[in-house]
Amino acid sequence: MGAQIMFYILATVIVVFSFLAVTSRKVMRATVYLLFVLLATAGLYFIIDYNFMAGIQLIVYAGGIVALIVFAVMLTEKIGDKIESPSNMQMILAGLISIAGAGVTISVLLGHDFKQSTQNIGQNVATIGENLLNYGKDGYVLPFEVVSILLLASMIAAIVVAKRKFEN
Amino acid sequence: MDLSNFFSIMRGEIVLAAIILILLLAEIATKDKKKIVDLAIGLFLIHTIFGFFGVGEGVLFGGMFKASPIVNLFKNILNVGVLIILFQSASWVKGKLEEHNRVSEFYILLFASLLGMYYMISAGDFLMFYIGIEMASLPVAGLAAFDIYQKRSAEAALKYIFLAAITSGISLLGISFLYSASGTIFFDELKPFMTNDSLITLGFLFFLVGLLFKISIVPFHLWTADVYEGAPIGVTSYLSVISKGAAAFILIIILFTMAKPIMELWREVIYMLSILTMFIGNIFALRQKNMKRFLAFSSIAQAGFIILGMLSGTQLGMSAVVFFIATYIFSNLGAFGVVYAIANQSGKENMDDYNGFYRTNPLLSVLMMLALFSLAGIPPVAGFFGKFFLFMSAASAGYYWLILFAVINVTISLYYYLLVVRAMFVRQNDNPIPAFKSDVYMKIGLILPAIGIFVLGLYSPIYEHINELVGMFLK
Amino acid sequence: MIQGIGVTDFFIISTLMFFIGVYGFITRKNLITILIAIELILNAVAINFVIINKYLYPEGLHGQIFSIFIIAVAAAEVAIAIAIVIDFYRTNKSVNVDESEMMKY
Repeated sequence: MGAQIMFYILATVIVVFSFLAVTSRKVMRATVYLLFVLLATAGLYFIIDYNFMAGIQLIVYAGGIVALIVFAVMLTEKIGDKIESPSNMQMILAGLISIAGAGVTISVLLGHDFKQSTQNIGQNVATIGENLLNYGKDGYVLPFEVVSILLLASMIAAIVVAKRKFEN
Repeated sequence: MDLSNFFSIMRGEIVLAAIILILLLAEIATKDKKKIVDLAIGLFLIHTIFGFFGVGEGVLFGGMFKASPIVNLFKNILNVGVLIILFQSASWVKGKLEEHNRVSEFYILLFASLLGMYYMISAGDFLMFYIGIEMASLPVAGLAAFDIYQKRSAEAALKYIFLAAITSGISLLGISFLYSASGTIFFDELKPFMTNDSLITLGFLFFLVGLLFKISIVPFHLWTADVYEGAPIGVTSYLSVISKGAAAFILIIILFTMAKPIMELWREVIYMLSILTMFIGNIFALRQKNMKRFLAFSSIAQAGFIILGMLSGTQLGMSAVVFFIATYIFSNLGAFGVVYAIANQSGKENMDDYNGFYRTNPLLSVLMMLALFSLAGIPPVAGFFGKFFLFMSAASAGYYWLILFAVINVTISLYYYLLVVRAMFVRQNDNPIPAFKSDVYMKIGLILPAIGIFVLGLYSPIYEHINELVGMFLK
Repeated sequence: MIQGIGVTDFFIISTLMFFIGVYGFITRKNLITILIAIELILNAVAINFVIINKYLYPEGLHGQIFSIFIIAVAAAEVAIAIAIVIDFYRTNKSVNVDESEMMKY
């Protein structure tokens, strides 16, 4: 029962703050609302016993990505700046697209007969680690290594773009 | 897993990753940065040549990485394309050295993106596919913003990375639906689950969005013209040729193997998109004055022809598409090479500036004409046979109305390609672009596509070789 | 497992989050808020993969590993995007789409 109430609270937080994050007219506030959404997502992972995923969510998303966005906001925005709100036409159009998309997707999902597993398997960090370094069937060492090159390349790309000679 | 096996199957990827590391070390070790250009081109030339010999076939990492002869052949085609781009861009990179103080980064990002494409086209599951496609697109965003003092360069990069991110998000949503219905992310294991179930259908359609964006199929083409115009020309030709070719290749692999059971569904989608893409690409290409935008829209129209070949779903169709992509790579790189050479020398990019170009630079004009004729599909150059095989494959599946429509579009495209030829050969100009000499790298970069256009057009065993490899792959 | 909560309930939340992100992507004009909308989209997909793994196919690890990689790639994506945004800000002194001639699509 307690978990059920938690779920509903987290679900409400996610939906409400997602909406606020894309409609707020102050960038810093939008960033903080995004942080709330990401924290609530970590909460969802906790209540289904996926503690490792929740940890990653907190460290990388809430800790890393939001911090990056906050830096960007501080470098580019002045205090009190307000984003101009989109035109009515644009809001209606975007709203229609989103509602239609969500409607179709949800109705398809509800129409499908999912066979829920009866096993309640929690998360074992050791298994994840072993699988990440395993090269056989169901091993993930190849994507693990390839993503390291991806991270290297994107680091270089970020430096290339952001670094400039000192100007006077 | 046998280690010797591993090195023979994944040799191309390992060598390319090693080249990236060597360039990183060279950046630290050398004072004379211009040498890095020669080093990068030399290493990649060796890599390209050895790619044609003795790369094994097989499956690695529990089915995540698959190499078959046709995939290896396609990697070689991409290698040749990238090599041409390296030759064409060498003088530009050297010229930017003073201003930017960055050389090795250009090559590292380009090779990282190419490495992503390798992994993308030999992926056996959605995870490697996703990482490959992201690795192919993220460094390119950095490359598009390479001209950091140019306003439109940053705009191009922003537009590219945001739209790439949202389309890959939609693609991922589709993958998650396919996973929820089947419990697997491997292409082979997913095949029996591909039915007309609505969840599978929706998931598959969402999944296609990411790839259609990369090939710039209408209605996911809106980024193309602005990004092509804003990015440095070398990056533009990379996007329009290599990135598009690789995405089209993995699309055809997925459609012909994993999605074969729902062929009726994707046939209708591809049919509609092909008509739209050819038409809209052509209509907009008619009005362009800037050569980069012009080539952008013409490449959208070409993408419509590429997916037209996929409709048949047979061996004939796949060989036709692979052959067409090869001819397209050479023809488009020829055209981009001439635009590149002119922009390097004089900074001019508009069609009107090309008036009277034949008087001053006859060789470049002839190459441009050759490349444009190949794009338009005039015999005997390569592009004609490319289009001919595409139409043959569509005819074998009975799409006669579509072929009629495509032929009309070829005629429209012929008109606007001839506009450029007319500007160069017929029109008078009081102060045309003066005669200039390019450096040796640019010359090689212009001769290679010309050779390619002729060889692919006149030497028929190449098509038969492709056809044979495709037959082995589809069996 | 939560009593009385099925897999579709999670799906509804993640789908709503996804399409709110799409709404934000279309309407927003400030580059950083567009980035926030993209983060919402990617996070929604990551939830999907984790939930499918937990509720439908708990024997394997595909979903969890997939979403770990989505998070890693999203981090790389944000790093590059922010670098480009800052570069854009230096030449334009603004992070709004309108103030450049860039038409949004």
